[in-house]
Amino acid sequence: MLPLPFTPDFLGRLEALRLRTRKEFLGSRTGTYSSPRRGTSLEFADYRRYAPGDDLRYLDWGIYARSDRLYVKLFREEMDLFAYIFIDASGSMAFPSAATKFSPACHIALAFAYVVLANHDHVRVHLLKDGSPAAASPFYRGRHKILELIHFLSAPSPGGAFDLAAVLGEHLKRIRRPGKAILLSDFLMPSSSYQRGLNLLRAFNLDISVIQVLGREEIAPPFPRGGVRVVDSESAQELSLHWGADLRREYEQRLERHNRELKSFCHQAGIDFSLFVTDQEIGEFVLETLPRIGLFR
Amino acid sequence: MEFLNPAAFSLLFLLPLLIIPYLIKKEPRRVIFSSLLFLPGSPPASRPWGRLYLPPLFFLQLLLLLLLILALAEPVFSVRLLKVAIVLDNSASMQALEGGKSRFEIARDKAAEIIGSLSARGRVDLYTTAPRLERSAAGLEPGEALKLLGRLTPYDLGESQVDYGTGLSRLAKENSYERLFFLTDHEVRGQGQVIRAVLVGRPKDNLAVTSFRLVRPSFGSSQLAARVEVTSFSSRAEKVRLSLKGDGKVLSSRTLTVAPLRSVSASIDGLPFHEAYEAELEARDGLSLDNRRFAVAPPAIGLEILGISPRPEALSSLRSIPGVRLRVISPEDYEKDRGARHSLEIFHFSFPALLPEKPALFVLPPKKNPLAAAGDALTGPQISAWREPHPLTRYVNFALFRLSYARSLKPLSPGDKIIESPQGPLAVAWENEGPRYLVLGFDPFPYLGRENLPVSIFTLNFLGWFQEGTDGSGAATGKPLNLGSARAEGTAVVTPRGERFPVRPGARLFPRTYFQGLYQIVRGEEKGIVAVNFQDIKESDLHNSVAINLPGQERGSASPSLFFSLWPYLLLASLLLLILEWFWNAPIARTVQRDYRRAESGL
Repeated sequence: MLPLPFTPDFLGRLEALRLRTRKEFLGSRTGTYSSPRRGTSLEFADYRRYAPGDDLRYLDWGIYARSDRLYVKLFREEMDLFAYIFIDASGSMAFPSAATKFSPACHIALAFAYVVLANHDHVRVHLLKDGSPAAASPFYRGRHKILELIHFLSAPSPGGAFDLAAVLGEHLKRIRRPGKAILLSDFLMPSSSYQRGLNLLRAFNLDISVIQVLGREEIAPPFPRGGVRVVDSESAQELSLHWGADLRREYEQRLERHNRELKSFCHQAGIDFSLFVTDQEIGEFVLETLPRIGLFR
Repeated sequence: MEFLNPAAFSLLFLLPLLIIPYLIKKEPRRVIFSSLLFLPGSPPASRPWGRLYLPPLFFLQLLLLLLLILALAEPVFSVRLLKVAIVLDNSASMQALEGGKSRFEIARDKAAEIIGSLSARGRVDLYTTAPRLERSAAGLEPGEALKLLGRLTPYDLGESQVDYGTGLSRLAKENSYERLFFLTDHEVRGQGQVIRAVLVGRPKDNLAVTSFRLVRPSFGSSQLAARVEVTSFSSRAEKVRLSLKGDGKVLSSRTLTVAPLRSVSASIDGLPFHEAYEAELEARDGLSLDNRRFAVAPPAIGLEILGISPRPEALSSLRSIPGVRLRVISPEDYEKDRGARHSLEIFHFSFPALLPEKPALFVLPPKKNPLAAAGDALTGPQISAWREPHPLTRYVNFALFRLSYARSLKPLSPGDKIIESPQGPLAVAWENEGPRYLVLGFDPFPYLGRENLPVSIFTLNFLGWFQEGTDGSGAATGKPLNLGSARAEGTAVVTPRGERFPVRPGARLFPRTYFQGLYQIVRGEEKGIVAVNFQDIKESDLHNSVAINLPGQERGSASPSLFFSLWPYLLLASLLLLILEWFWNAPIARTVQRDYRRAESGL
């Protein structure tokens, strides 16, 4: 059973997308992702729907004659992309609830995964969580594997705290091939922590894209006016506040500064950055916002 | 704008209490948040109360309460005030002093303020309440009304027996007054849009001379004795000096101690003869009017009797009584002889065409008479009952009261049955209104001086009783003076204030007894003096004035646009604000509770 955003129409539109990589050369064995002409034994692998820009020589006219739809043939060398999706599963991703923050992050990850699977590339999902062995799925390939991915992502529940670099380091030990890395997190951590983590990803020669997932309640906290005792969802640390307009303003300024610094760091590091607020439509974000910033083509 | 219930504004003092719930420091709510990274912390407050924060809801609640208080104060607009009536209570109690000014003067000043606040186009009708509720002037301009107001004075009269609530409402409606101001010292219950009561005066202690009689110890005595009664309407015992004056000179004085709410009597004997007497209390009390009382000496020494009988000798036994002078005429001559100076008329076996104006005794009157119909003849009647105690039956041994002949009586108007037999009353007396009358169903005069002592004593008793009725205590203010047969030209009445009122021929009553004092009745060269005294205990009691109810006032025929009552609309606005507050507050509460539950479930 597919989650709600994944309607047949949505899936159909995802199939028309392809992950864009900044690097032409991803370190694959047989060729580059973007050069279908190399190699002599082109092994047919699958079909995918025609997207503007595809080579017309690979159109399957037989399918067109039968169904009036354009499909291109895929050959194995074209699918040699390894995508690694890292999902933050710390306690902060469960605020205000797992269903309102962690689940949308997982859905975005699934959308990415489906795009990769629809292009007959490899995808593996890593759950970033401290304290447990590095939880990662096996590599999946083929559209039909999406259900296994869904099953993989439905089991865990976010919790606890972690140091991003340390946890990423554990996961990166299992990476043998360079490829595309997509990191979904709220990045509610000190800047030094996320910088170390992202630098670690860069050191592994991964083409990194970052999606910051924030809840509306984190952007505009709905604290009652007056005295309030705030408890950290990861560390259970408490802080007493007298919430009011001044404090709200100061919090928003701090958050905005942090996000700005994150975006700036990503830009300087050549990392794609986008922000997803959980009250947005996932379909609109995946199909319009992400292509607009160049994550898809 | 005016307020019908300004006392509601005292609720404004409760408004600061609204702030108290916002001052009380509440236990800080515990909420779970994703990260404390960007939250600036602050040290916990040490004071027991929290920082005062007044949310918009507080001001909404404040506005709601202000509107409610305003609604309770019943604001009304008087668009125009052109026709007003001023009813001034000018009864005797309004002469009581309040800090140097009489209540009437205070009421007059307040009425002047009201008149002064009218526009030049306003018109005023002035009313007074004594001797009756009547209009003094109508349609006066404010200036004219003020002038007339200055000439009004209080009378020495009690309150007229009128239902002010009904009377004033009727006045307001019939005359379409926009406002009717009733200035009085009585407590008034019920205010309304049209009729407004203005209270002047507070409860006060008071003493009053409630009775002053002059009597002769015997018929032939040349000296007089005074019987004075002083009543206290005070809450404490009073020691007071009573002076008795004759023609202005002090003849005697006494110091009396009167217990609270009690009466005390004083007798002063051996008074020399004067034309008029005055009993006066030297007291600083609420009302000085009732500290004086006047009396006139009985007309002559002895008892002048006019006997009207077809048998002149039947009354001759009366001549044996010292001090009694008797003149007997036939019944036919009675009408011609009514002007004589006698103080008692005895109708023996006769009855006049009209009831006499002087005290009268009727002995075995004809069967048909207006006082008591004569019944069956009785031989040797037995006495079954007698009125006791009563001056007529004093010292009489009715066991020995033997009569040979009598007729039972059937009173035709309410009177006191003095002596009764099994067959009916034998003696009936009337003394409450007008002159005293006594009807006997038997003839006492044959027994006078003979060996029937009880009947003789009874005879002396009724002679003394008739003489008491002429004790000169006078009439009451407000009651018309009986002029007798004032047929002569040149008859006039001079009031204590020196006003002379000619009496037209044929007039028998003088109604203008508005002031206490000695009235002179001038008939040509003759002058008679009558004492008229203020006699209204309710007016003298300044502690317990009778409350006046003004129920269910109608708006009158004034157009609805003249008075616009805001309070129903203010109340409606308050209710709408209350509903708005509920709708405003409920979502906020639900949002906070939902977020709190979400935050809690995150951990």
